[in-house]
Amino acid sequence: MKLLAVTVSIGAAMLVMTTATSYAAGGDAIFKKSCASCHYTDGPAKEKTIADQLAKKGPELWYAGSKFQKAWLGAWLQDPKPIRALKYNSLTDKNKGDHPKSSAADAAALTDYLMGLTSPEVKAGVIKAAATPQAKQIFNKKMPCGGCHATEKGGGLSGPSLVGAAKRLNPDWIYAYLANIKHFKPVRDMPDFGSVLNPKDLEAVAAYVATFE
Amino acid sequence: MSRIVMTAAVALGLALGAGSAAQAADTKQVFDFYCAQCHGEKGDGKGINVTKDFATDPRNFTNKEDMEKRSDEDIRGVIKDGGPSISKSPLMPPWGATLTAAEVDGLLAYIRKMCNCKGK
Ligand code: HEC
Ligand code: HEC
Ligand code: HEC
Repeated sequence: MKLLAVTVSIGAAMLVMTTATSYAAGGDAIFKKSCASCHYTDGPAKEKTIADQLAKKGPELWYAGSKFQKAWLGAWLQDPKPIRALKYNSLTDKNKGDHPKSSAADAAALTDYLMGLTSPEVKAGVIKAAATPQAKQIFNKKMPCGGCHATEKGGGLSGPSLVGAAKRLNPDWIYAYLANIKHFKPVRDMPDFGSVLNPKDLEAVAAYVATFE
Repeated sequence: MSRIVMTAAVALGLALGAGSAAQAADTKQVFDFYCAQCHGEKGDGKGINVTKDFATDPRNFTNKEDMEKRSDEDIRGVIKDGGPSISKSPLMPPWGATLTAAEVDGLLAYIRKMCNCKGK
């Protein structure tokens, strides 16, 4: 009896282990089959020239686990609504909203896989969402952020919409991205603000973007 | 672990391969990628970002009269440090940390061709 219990518990432990690994491998395998033609997941950043960036069919996802909030990702993969107003890498065509949809089970496996892809550049637990007057002034008046990004109040079209950033993006990633954009995106049509704004202002702006509903 | 080693090896291979292939992009490509979103591909100030929400019209580079008032130094400066560096709108972003000096020079020449003018 005792032996049986031990065997069963070892068996159960092994089962947990194998399901855990095969679960992750499942997301990995689905990704290779259905997603890798448009997204790369092996960092660091590969783009060296404008042509490299323009050749991509979708955003890089090698730091997806640092960038996105898990709940948002799982839901979005099942019902992907446009994030960018324009077609990826186009300044003329509209985003048709034709991103592939995943089933609930695939979305869960893919989410586990993608949330495991993180960047050590992102320090956890530093930025807390907050709309300070100082940050509002920077985002809306002193800096051109709104010229390229839409918020609830409207704005530019060339950058990803920041509507819903509060639920979509990890606040700590927003800060890391603004402070060290070259690590994530060596080639992109957003200016590098890492040396334009001081660290305090960068933190404040990141915290502000993290409040956008 | 083996995954990390493999990723590193792949990344190294890529870096080595890409290094030799990397070449300076031509100026039209630089302008279309960074500037056309506001100034328009033709430089007429009618980029995709210029909607009713856009507070200050981006400079129309084909307007000779306006553009010849600016010295080459001013234009280089405003590209690098943004609108406020010459008391203009902050909607003109600072590109100094993004573009190389050669790219800025290329853009200056490209803009001068668009306005068909020299700076004072
Ligand atoms: C035909 C190319 C293509 C395929 C296949 C594809 N995607 Fe995408 N993906 C895109 C494009 C383009 C965007 C940008 C969409 C937008 O901005 O609305 C995107 C956006 C995303 C985003 C948000 C990224 C960001 O930075 O905003 C995630 C996450 C994502 N895709 C995951 C997946 C997964 C998982 C699959 C496989 C089930 C997949 N994609 C298949 C082209 C593709
Ligand atoms: C000239 C246009 C432009 C300006 C000005 C600009 N951005 Fe961006 N921004 C972009 C583009 C384009 C991207 C997407 C880059 C990519 O993924 O290829 C982006 C990406 C982002 C992202 C990541 C969004 C995502 O889902 O991937 C954040 C956050 C952001 N910008 C914040 C800001 C802030 C804050 C400012 C002002 C300090 C700013 N941006 C100014 C064009 C701009
Ligand atoms: C986010 C939108 C935006 C982007 C992107 C942008 N500009 Fe501008 N630019 C403007 C605006 C707005 C003005 C007008 C400022 C004013 O008149 O107060 C301007 C003005 C200028 C001026 C004229 C300044 C003067 O009055 O003499 C030059 C030169 C210029 N931009 C060059 C560029 C170049 C080169 C690029 C690409 C590297 C670029 N801009 C990208 C918005 C933008």
